[in-house]
Amino acid sequence: MNPNQSPHPTQQFTPCGRNRREFIWQAGGGFVGTALTYLLAQDGFFNQARANTPGKVSSLDPQPSHFAPKAKSCIFLFMYGGPSHMDLFDPKPELTKRDGQPMPNLENDPRFDAARTKGKPLLGSQWEFKKHGQSGIEVSALFPKVAECVDDMAIIRSCHADSFAHGSGLLQMNTGMLRQGFPSLGSWVTYGLGTVNQNLPAYVVMLDHRGGPIGGAPNWGAGFMPAGFQGTQFRTSGDPIIDLSPRNGITRHQQRQQLDLLGQLDGMHAAEHPLDSEFGARLDSYELAFRMQQHAPEAVDLARETPQTLEAYGLNQETTEKFGRRCLMARRLVERGVRFVQVYSGGGHLDENWDAHLGMKKNHELHCGETDQPIAALLNDLKQRGLLDETLVVWGGEFGRTPTSEGANKGRDHNPRGFTMWMAGGGINGGQTYGATDDFGYAAVEKPVHVHDLHATILHLMGMDHEALTYFHAGRDWRLTDVHGHVLMDLIS
Amino acid sequence: MWPVPRLVSLFAFVALATFAVADEPYGRHQFDDSSRSHWSFKKLQRPAVPAASASWGRNPIDAFVAQGLASAGLTPAAPADRVTLLRRVYLDLIGLPPTPDEVAAFVSDTSETAFERVVDDLLSRPQYGQRWARHWLDVVRYAETNGYERDGAKPEAWKYRDWVINSLNGDLPYDEFVIQQLAGDEIEGSNADSQIATTMLRLGAWDDEPADPLVDRYDQLDDIVGTTSAALLGMTLRCARCHDHKFEPLTAKDYARWTAIFAPLARPQQGRTELTRDIGPHAEVAAHQAMTKQLDEQKATLVARLQATSWQVVSAAATDGRLPIAQLAALGDQAAPATGVAVSDEIVQIAKEIPGGALTAATIEPDKRNDEQKKLIAEHNDKLLALTKVVAPGEKRTALDDVQKQLAAVQAAYPAPLPQGYIWYEKGPTTEVNHVFDRGDPRTPAGEVLPGVPAILVDELPAAPQPTGHSTGRRLQLARWLMSADHPLTARVMVNRLWQHHFGDGLVASENDFGVMGEPPSNQPLLDWLASELVAGGWRMKRMHRMMVLSETYRMSSAGNQQAMRRDPTGALLWRFRPRRLEAEALRDTILAVAGQLNLKAGGPSVFPKISRAVLETQSVPGNGWTPSEPAEAQRRSVYIFVKRTLIVPELDVLDFPATEESCAQRIVSTVAPQALTLLNGEFMHEQAAAMASRLAREVGRDDSARIERAYTLAFGRLPSENERTALLEFLDRQRGQIAADSPEEETVKTIDFKALSALCLVILNTNEFAYLQ
Repeated sequence: MNPNQSPHPTQQFTPCGRNRREFIWQAGGGFVGTALTYLLAQDGFFNQARANTPGKVSSLDPQPSHFAPKAKSCIFLFMYGGPSHMDLFDPKPELTKRDGQPMPNLENDPRFDAARTKGKPLLGSQWEFKKHGQSGIEVSALFPKVAECVDDMAIIRSCHADSFAHGSGLLQMNTGMLRQGFPSLGSWVTYGLGTVNQNLPAYVVMLDHRGGPIGGAPNWGAGFMPAGFQGTQFRTSGDPIIDLSPRNGITRHQQRQQLDLLGQLDGMHAAEHPLDSEFGARLDSYELAFRMQQHAPEAVDLARETPQTLEAYGLNQETTEKFGRRCLMARRLVERGVRFVQVYSGGGHLDENWDAHLGMKKNHELHCGETDQPIAALLNDLKQRGLLDETLVVWGGEFGRTPTSEGANKGRDHNPRGFTMWMAGGGINGGQTYGATDDFGYAAVEKPVHVHDLHATILHLMGMDHEALTYFHAGRDWRLTDVHGHVLMDLIS
Repeated sequence: MWPVPRLVSLFAFVALATFAVADEPYGRHQFDDSSRSHWSFKKLQRPAVPAASASWGRNPIDAFVAQGLASAGLTPAAPADRVTLLRRVYLDLIGLPPTPDEVAAFVSDTSETAFERVVDDLLSRPQYGQRWARHWLDVVRYAETNGYERDGAKPEAWKYRDWVINSLNGDLPYDEFVIQQLAGDEIEGSNADSQIATTMLRLGAWDDEPADPLVDRYDQLDDIVGTTSAALLGMTLRCARCHDHKFEPLTAKDYARWTAIFAPLARPQQGRTELTRDIGPHAEVAAHQAMTKQLDEQKATLVARLQATSWQVVSAAATDGRLPIAQLAALGDQAAPATGVAVSDEIVQIAKEIPGGALTAATIEPDKRNDEQKKLIAEHNDKLLALTKVVAPGEKRTALDDVQKQLAAVQAAYPAPLPQGYIWYEKGPTTEVNHVFDRGDPRTPAGEVLPGVPAILVDELPAAPQPTGHSTGRRLQLARWLMSADHPLTARVMVNRLWQHHFGDGLVASENDFGVMGEPPSNQPLLDWLASELVAGGWRMKRMHRMMVLSETYRMSSAGNQQAMRRDPTGALLWRFRPRRLEAEALRDTILAVAGQLNLKAGGPSVFPKISRAVLETQSVPGNGWTPSEPAEAQRRSVYIFVKRTLIVPELDVLDFPATEESCAQRIVSTVAPQALTLLNGEFMHEQAAAMASRLAREVGRDDSARIERAYTLAFGRLPSENERTALLEFLDRQRGQIAADSPEEETVKTIDFKALSALCLVILNTNEFAYLQ
């Protein structure tokens, strides 16, 4: 088509700039039937939505996956601020040995942000690591209860990302892109799979009691997708969803009457426009909202949980009560078919989250103390209920921390070059570690896993091919993983 | 193995050919026939108007539409009734509903020109610009913050919003409209207004703490490239950042050339802080800056003299004991009573108010002071000077007085500050060499390019831009090229946008994509005729609006028709007027208008409607950057609401307010339950429903039937049908009964009545008829 472009064998498989119809046509027999059905269904829906044609198709209707999923739901435990891998899951004896010594050589390596480490001494972990479970994986004393779950966890020690800053780091972990304006992981999952329970939002976000993460709503936004795919914020007190309940003392009976009147008036109006079912779809959304008023509070009503469960999640202790509540709500939501739940630990700034510049000890003892028991309880609870097999649990932050010390109280700075995340349940082969950082925990050196690879793996576990899950926008098809991403097959059982 | 550094992003499958030399001649001859013959790349030619049908149609638009319908075997719908038509044209042109009086006047005016007069009236109202500016703001990704971690404010960005509104209201021709936005600082007669227009180029999201500064620089340019090419050309040039466009005849070099046009732009910033620029005619700004510089220099000289003299006095007094600095310093720090200090009360009184550090610093020779000391001296200059004068010998005191007088004179001579604009600037007539990059990665240049436009759109290499005294002239040259009369895309793209907002979809339904992958035009002769009319009419847009809304096509009913629906389900051939949901802003403004709460104040800095605590809690510092405005201010039209990239007002966000990161041609229309929750239970809705109820009670008293009639006239411009009236009356009774039954305490009849009426208003504001333009 143009003079500078040479034919290339991979061209056939790139979704770039192609409309969906053409893509399907060209993919031909290379694709399995379900994927084709899926793509066609999407195609149909978005053409309709775009052109405002009649149709009651809800964007959140369940969609067939590309292949059989391992996980039906995902709970992403987001440790905002950047937990320190070498103090939690990535033991570094060499670092401990050289505690207080200068950073060796690495500063001349262009891959490092030397400004963050220059002239600063190495800081060994202040916590002891011990082997746990049958797998004998080492976990630090900061996470005693999580440590007991290692046999269910695949611990990825070689994660890396591209930004040293919280803002773009959060965006990348959530949307795959450093730039603002792209759909988040939960939006992609919801777009790809829809939801089996329309009485609840398909994609729920629960923020920390201290505030949202830096950058706010774009972290769970739908980017260029319709707003229906964005995360719905669930709160742990009051109305779980904003504007869920009738206001000003209006009772459910009164609102029922109001909706009946709305139905009557819209019905008379629709009689004049019998062919425009868009009007009917809008009226339906009010009935759905009305049902949601009933189902959402039920979903988060912890009064129905046993005292043993509440205690297990730490709801009877001040330290663990808040995060424990979010974890327990997350379990109740996935039980009810919610597709994607993101739970934040940490909000606001510095010690309000895992951003331990001012001292590892104070910061991580606080945040590990708040989360250790609830996370372990969540994994055990899911397992006991037979839900862990179909629920993928992901743990991690936007980056890790430097091996060097910062400030008077032994803090650590940001480090996206190497950090740890783990996954459990939902098809994960537990009791393994994957990849490695260098001797100091500075950079991923063995089997490096980029954020795109994590995303590709999460989509894969949920039954989606990250290269086939595309959304046409502004002249081309987009993917969560851009042009990157490899599924980490070694993690999968 | 080390992780491979990631690319800027985008699909980098095809290796880019290596370019060894500076830009070579180029043009459409490079491409094959199929690319060259794509309809929108061919020069605009004016088609002949088809013969008008005797039975249907008023103007040439109708003749084109009738031809399209006839060839598909379709017939146009009957005209809409007068009330529907009036509500339609009000909401469409000014984004507000007609008042009951306006409806009554129109319905009773049976003259042939009644509708024409309404249209002319609406187009002359300031609300027209407020409504239509928002459409353009979507296209240029308007927002007033940068997004990302700090989401810092873009100071003075609202001036651009007002510039767009004023330009539309003043019917600024589209060519001028574009030229000023691209090159308002480069044109002859450049002034504050035209420079504000260039704010368009700086509206993008910006990470003030980028992961990679070089990539960030090109991301900023990519934002401009993406916006300008989509908005003005209707081309997806952005897709060619990393490699040649897969399906459009757009090459990576085309992308690099277009980027080179904007590459000389520099961002006024101080670290993470955004700076504004002085704006005004260049000569005036230059004179102002020269004068300021001169005064700054005079001031610096005088300040130095003052400091030197002061230091001589202070150090002498410190030496001879008249100013016991250590004791006085302690005094200033502790604010303790003066005991044991052998100096006058006057000195003690002054010294008390000066921190010790500042006093000590005053004894150090000015040149030898460190930054901290300089800062202390500057902060406490007045008191230090007063102290100095107390101990200064006569001639020194006179000298100090003299310098102070001169300083005051210099200070008074400063001209008033110039108005500020949130704009880029160029550093001069020349700039550095530009490159195409391998896979779009700015770390791997792959050959030089000159500024230019996509080759497929030109016959030959365009002439080199003519630099202005202060800039490269590249943007001005681009603007002029865009505005050539036979340009294949400019007029088509814009007239299509006008059509889109009158009729729901563009004649090209992919309004930002006129390329090979875009939707084909549903009626190309009509599009081309309209485009050439736009040019022939001096690019005046009000003339085009008028032509479109006065057509018979616009006046059709929106009623469905089974047979036509089957043949043309999207209604692209225009056999009826397609109903469509009001955009978030128009819906909010209409609600405010009907409730009698709308504040029509125009222009100025943006307003901050109240946002619930629950929503603010999503911020890392809840409430940061969002100080709620006074209620009256908050009830201004939605176009005046502050657009904060990480915190969009929920009532707008939930109703598909566009993403602000890139040009939005057509808003998504989604229908989801959270919209219903917001519209049923949200605080804004309840305030407005109550205000509307008060209005009804005030205007028509206690009779239910009269209230219902008034509510309908306000909301829909019509009276309720008998069935509707019955349903509403029954509802009021039922609801009153329910409220009384549900109330824990005895409520007065009046309270119950008001609650029921508010509920009725809430329902009316939620109906489809209210939310749709039809």
